[in-house]
Amino acid sequence: MSRFVFRYFSEVFRPRYEVGQFIRQCYVIGYLSLPLIGITGFIMGLVLTMQLRPSLMSYGVEAQLPVMVSLAIVREIGPVITALIFAGKISSGIGAELGSMKVTEQIDAMEVSGTNPFKYLVVTRVLATTLMLPVLTILSDAISMYGSYLGVNIKGHTSLQLYFIQVFQTLHFGDILPATIKTVFFGFAIGMIGCYKGYNSSKGTEGVGRSANAAVVVSSLLIFIIDLITVQVTDLLGLN
Amino acid sequence: MRKKTTVQNITLGVFVTAGLVILVVSLYLVGKNQNMFGSSFHLRARFRNISGLQAGNNVRFSGIQAGTVGKITVIDDTSIEVDLLVNEEMKPFIRDNSLVSIGNEGLMGNKVVNITPSRLPGNPARDNSLLHTKPDVNTDQMMEAFSTVGDNVEIISGGLVSTVNRINESNALWHILNDTVMTQELHLAVINLRIASGNINQLTLALSDVVKDAQAGKGAAGAIIADTAVAGDLRAAMANVRNMSEQSAVLLRHLDSLVGTIQNNIDKGDGLAHAMLHDSSMTGRVSRSLLQVENGTASFNEAMTALKHNVLLRGYFRKVEKRKKGSGQRDSSLIAN
Amino acid sequence: MGQSQTAADKVITIEKLTKSFGTHQVLSGFDLELSRGESIVVLGRSGSGKSVLIKCLIGLHMPDSGSVNVLGNNMLALDQAELDKVRARVGFLFQGNALYDSMTVRENLEFPMRRHMSGVTPADADKRVRETLAHVGLEDTIDMMPAELSGGMQKRIALARTLILHPEIILYDEPTTGLDPITAREISSLMNHTKQTYNTSSIIISHDMKCVEQTADNVAVLVDGRCHALAPYQELARSSDNKVRQFFD
Repeated sequence: MSRFVFRYFSEVFRPRYEVGQFIRQCYVIGYLSLPLIGITGFIMGLVLTMQLRPSLMSYGVEAQLPVMVSLAIVREIGPVITALIFAGKISSGIGAELGSMKVTEQIDAMEVSGTNPFKYLVVTRVLATTLMLPVLTILSDAISMYGSYLGVNIKGHTSLQLYFIQVFQTLHFGDILPATIKTVFFGFAIGMIGCYKGYNSSKGTEGVGRSANAAVVVSSLLIFIIDLITVQVTDLLGLN
Repeated sequence: MRKKTTVQNITLGVFVTAGLVILVVSLYLVGKNQNMFGSSFHLRARFRNISGLQAGNNVRFSGIQAGTVGKITVIDDTSIEVDLLVNEEMKPFIRDNSLVSIGNEGLMGNKVVNITPSRLPGNPARDNSLLHTKPDVNTDQMMEAFSTVGDNVEIISGGLVSTVNRINESNALWHILNDTVMTQELHLAVINLRIASGNINQLTLALSDVVKDAQAGKGAAGAIIADTAVAGDLRAAMANVRNMSEQSAVLLRHLDSLVGTIQNNIDKGDGLAHAMLHDSSMTGRVSRSLLQVENGTASFNEAMTALKHNVLLRGYFRKVEKRKKGSGQRDSSLIAN
Repeated sequence: MGQSQTAADKVITIEKLTKSFGTHQVLSGFDLELSRGESIVVLGRSGSGKSVLIKCLIGLHMPDSGSVNVLGNNMLALDQAELDKVRARVGFLFQGNALYDSMTVRENLEFPMRRHMSGVTPADADKRVRETLAHVGLEDTIDMMPAELSGGMQKRIALARTLILHPEIILYDEPTTGLDPITAREISSLMNHTKQTYNTSSIIISHDMKCVEQTADNVAVLVDGRCHALAPYQELARSSDNKVRQFFD
């Protein structure tokens, strides 16, 4: 695994660059995940708001609802939920795709066609997940906020303007930046695990299924581990 | 195929751009809230204790968001200097004699620096000027005040409880209400009134006799009767008497209703505090009425005595006394009345 | 390079090739020479290391020892760029066709062209794709996805993809396995046709004796990781060696 990661870093900056394939993967991995992530983000924002309301009401701080929800979404729930769903969709997809390519010798075929399959398949995908997950997370956060705004307005009334003023008064760089940066690591882990499991898939259809499954399990677990580490690191750096 | 790729690239571009725009805009808004952009100027203030103020906390000028807290430096063991980044547009309004204090955004909220303008005229604050501070109301002190208030409330409510208990246990009040003496007194007053009215009757009869005598031109009275002064005196006396009897009637009615109410209230046995209020005022009213009745009868007696001593009637009364002795016919009929 | 001039007719020379996976010795001192224009069938049982052998020829596997010389290049000493240059001259037909599922037939064929040949204009590429498809007789599948094609058609497309760079050598990995006898025969004759048209040398891995008979100039029998026998088909068919006979009976 570490050799695989090392190979990624040794090849990512070396030409030739598979720009076309990278853009295609960005489209498939990033843009095509947007509906799923948008819907889950919207529901998370809405539900979180509705769930928090009774507890806040019991303290009489209902007005703090946008503050609580925005902090929860931007700092933790947005990045982690988006990453988990992304892992479920993308990591297994990559695992299965590369697994079946491995099994049907497509990877070998690529190699004899003068293409570095690692570069063509792995580097482009890992780069795409690394760069697309932050974008997806930002969009998901924004959609969540809108969901939360609707949630606030189901009972009670807050104007969109007041809502966003409250949200942005609460948020600091320490809330947004570490959360966004950690999604880069999430994305890298998801792409890396998916590719590794697929690229080293054992022969046969069973092997493909196993690598897809293992990709999801391992990358989901890694997301939480990375989350834990980044929280510690940002805490040590005093960024929150 | 190539066209499809182009469309995909464009959507991808839009997708990524949207994400980046949202990120940049939100960072800009956050930064704007923290005065990262736009021009600001510095003010300084020195505190003994900054009660947990942090860089990035808000600065308010008369309640308006005006900037944020910058660097916090410890000058020595008793003073901490706080650098305030204040919006340039606030500069003309902040004077160098404004007072700076540290407060709270809500009870549990973040710390906030308040700049309060002074009532006295002053020069506009310059960049980096040091403003005076006033001691802040921090949560600890507030809590202390709260606990004092709480103690006081406890003492007061304790007192209230014992007062109510004492009232509850005291029989005096109920004594007043259930006292038979008072009813007896009332009864007596009524009897007195009846006697008084009997006297009045007597008097009127006597007067009518006098008038008859006068008309017949009998005796001194008849001679003097022409005198208007005496007639006026008499008329006044009569008016007094009528007044009095009217008052007596009113008093009697009062008494009647009072007795009725007391009876009612005792019968109903309303709540304690209610009954207390009701009853105390009633006792007051009752005793006042009794007093009035007493006064009334007293002055009536006075009037009667005065009449007896009147020059005109003196003779009559003497005659009556004489007749009593001589057991005259008219006399006996008078007394019988 | 000079070597290729001296032995002009030897396009592949394999000497004492050994390869093992873990403790399992697959090849143990395999020798073989392939002349220009020659077709050699490597005959062997499943798991005897036939596929490993031809993958070593093209650098997909690194042998443990021995030497492999392809078109005058020592395959074990090449860097990636040089290896790619050799690979452009050697076609490889995979057992499972290895067509890219996510691409159309045209894209599958263009893929190696774009990789190995710089500066091909779209018009040239299109012309070449159509030419090659015509050679395998499947011109009208140009915009179809591989999944829409039958096994035999997929095999032809895979051959077309191999041919598109006009390789000097073609390595066939069990070209007729999994096909019905009729289709297998068609593929075999297509291989012969290709050999004539493009003047290729080839190494064919197979255990389908019909195909072997049809396509082989010489047959190498791979037993126990070595080249047990090397002779024309008819000669081997008359052999009394048990290890050879088992393939013919």
